Amino acid sequence: MLAYVKQKIKKSDKIGYLMSLPYLVSFALFVAFPLGFSFILIFHKWNVITPMRWVGLKNFYRLFHDVEFFRAIYNTVVFLIIHIPLQIVFALVIAVLLNQKIKLRGFFRAVFFMPVIVSGVVITILWQQLYAYETGVLNLILTQLGLPKIPWINDPSWAMPSIAIMATWKNVGLYIVLFLVGLQNIPKYLYESAELDGATAWQKFWYITVPSLNSTMVLVVILSTIGGFSLFIEPFVMTGGGPMNSTLSAMLYIYNQAFYFGHMGYAATLGFFFAFIIFIVVLIQKRVVERK
Amino acid sequence: MKFKIFLILPIIAWLLLTACSKGQQGKAEAKPRRGLTYWCASNPQEYKLAKELVKAWNQRHPEIPVKLQTLPASQSSEEVLLAAIAGKTTPDICSNMWPGAMDEFIAAGGLLRLDTFPDFRSYVTERVMEDQLKTFQAKDGGYYQLPWKTNPIMVFYNKKIFRKAGVQPPLVTYSQFLSAAQKIVQDFDGDGQIDHWMLYRDIKPIWWQRLFDYYPFYICASGGRTLFEADSIVFNNQASVKVFRFFQTMYRRGYMPVTQFQGDQFLAERLATQISGPWLVAHIQKFAPADFEYGIMPIPKPDDYQGAVYTYGDPKNISIFNNTKHPRAAWQFAKWLISRHADQRLLEICDQIPMRKNLLSDSSFIAYFKAKPQMKMFALQAPFTRGVDGVADLKEIFNIISQEYEASVIYGRRPPEEAIERAAKRVKVIREWNR
Repeated sequence: MLAYVKQKIKKSDKIGYLMSLPYLVSFALFVAFPLGFSFILIFHKWNVITPMRWVGLKNFYRLFHDVEFFRAIYNTVVFLIIHIPLQIVFALVIAVLLNQKIKLRGFFRAVFFMPVIVSGVVITILWQQLYAYETGVLNLILTQLGLPKIPWINDPSWAMPSIAIMATWKNVGLYIVLFLVGLQNIPKYLYESAELDGATAWQKFWYITVPSLNSTMVLVVILSTIGGFSLFIEPFVMTGGGPMNSTLSAMLYIYNQAFYFGHMGYAATLGFFFAFIIFIVVLIQKRVVERK
Repeated sequence: MKFKIFLILPIIAWLLLTACSKGQQGKAEAKPRRGLTYWCASNPQEYKLAKELVKAWNQRHPEIPVKLQTLPASQSSEEVLLAAIAGKTTPDICSNMWPGAMDEFIAAGGLLRLDTFPDFRSYVTERVMEDQLKTFQAKDGGYYQLPWKTNPIMVFYNKKIFRKAGVQPPLVTYSQFLSAAQKIVQDFDGDGQIDHWMLYRDIKPIWWQRLFDYYPFYICASGGRTLFEADSIVFNNQASVKVFRFFQTMYRRGYMPVTQFQGDQFLAERLATQISGPWLVAHIQKFAPADFEYGIMPIPKPDDYQGAVYTYGDPKNISIFNNTKHPRAAWQFAKWLISRHADQRLLEICDQIPMRKNLLSDSSFIAYFKAKPQMKMFALQAPFTRGVDGVADLKEIFNIISQEYEASVIYGRRPPEEAIERAAKRVKVIREWNR
């Protein structure tokens, strides 16, 4: 057997291994090693400076009794429930508009994509100022219109929707591009045939555009689900997880456990558990959306 | 071809390895062979002070030169020091040690026990009061930190706003503070907006925010107690409840806004008071408008409280790290950093209060307090300060208190009694988990 492997290696083209070496090294350093090390950490207590201590399944016991972590998962799900439909509707509507022959089409496409490339921290600080209760532009406009101020990020029931609106504004450009690609791949003859049959604009949109975008829709839903599950910068910068833990996302909670409180083992346990949840959710989504 | 590949690969590996080892060699050469490395805080004033003191030391002790470095940039000094202990790259001595993080440093075996030096007690007790020194004692009975400076947390107030509202400082009790707030938080110019708030605190539930509202008020209301006694929770008491209720009333009556302000609202004269330490004096002198008038008063106390007014001292101390090759020299240098001359320069350059007895009557400091009378308030308060407990998981404990504070005080979702009880229970669970 060993001789066979040696023979195989001797016969193979070494230059191929050399060429793939940079990827293999980076994969080993930044993916395989951290993943393997995190798995070991699951069964240990470690605060970086003192030696690791074997705790068996104690981290799992803590996880299943940790009300705050489940609150963080609940918050993340709330965010996804608001964010994904909002994102799909806006991205689709804007993509359809930008697919028409309108003036300055290129300019608008660039403008909508701009927030995607701007740093999340910068955007969050900007929106923090827009949302400020006393001095924010949004509340100043509301006051001038004679409407009451909205506690955008100061009220537990408003804070997560406010963050979802901001995240939608930031990410919608990416999904507009994806939908535009999908729209441009829909054969024109379908619309021409529908027009001959007397279909209205709405009927064309609903019976041709939407079903034809099914594969793009699957991609958008999965990407925004994974993106939504990794919600971190926005609550970290804007609310710190408050008010009353209403914006504490699962990622923020894991970060706090690891880097604020030094519970590396517990954070690794939470991380694996959370990755498992994402895997299950994406699997279900893929089946449901694809079938439709 | 094969031969070339097998030749190239070891060469690349060798180049990488030698590059790494050369880097380490370079580092070792840069460090003085018989010297000490000293880390100070990175703010300009403390760096200036450290530079001056190191220069003077190096002139007097050329045999053990000190190399000065500022603490590497990070979210907090504690993070940097923990990373340095983990990586065994600590300096010999550091002067920005927060007592709240000492337990972790000691558990990691990173610090040198200072009371093993024969002159530790005599030198330190000449400078610091015995009860104050005791607050820095570790669980094992040893001392790993040299008391250096304290920044008593007090209340700054805007004299013009107080005058306009007809409020007479100082506001000694909670009810005086609340009735002053009632007069101040008004729409004086009739534009439909509140002109001034009584006080503002960041509403984000960040653990260290409590060091500037709940904690100094709790120390005051409890007559100088901290959160723990002999490693047991003691903060679930009436003092905590009173503090929660006071701040809850402030928010409920609209004297403190539930918002996030950008910029310094105290200097912008939108706040009548601000809870802060002496560093705010230097900040005001540098950035406040020319006609800005301010005063300083102690933390208000509950109406039924009798006794001295204590507060949080936000102490920063000096420690020597275990990996030092020159413990005696490091100890001598540490003593130089808390010498009378160094303390005088600490006041003059940084406007921070050294932990030293008889500060106001000591001839070395009289000129300073004469030139800056507002700093006298801090010097008077300094002996009545408390630090934080040297217990494990302190950040997590403050985080829990912060969450209960937010729920009860800011959003009024539960009565103070319940919030304090919940906090104590949660702290117990967390400590049990972390054991």
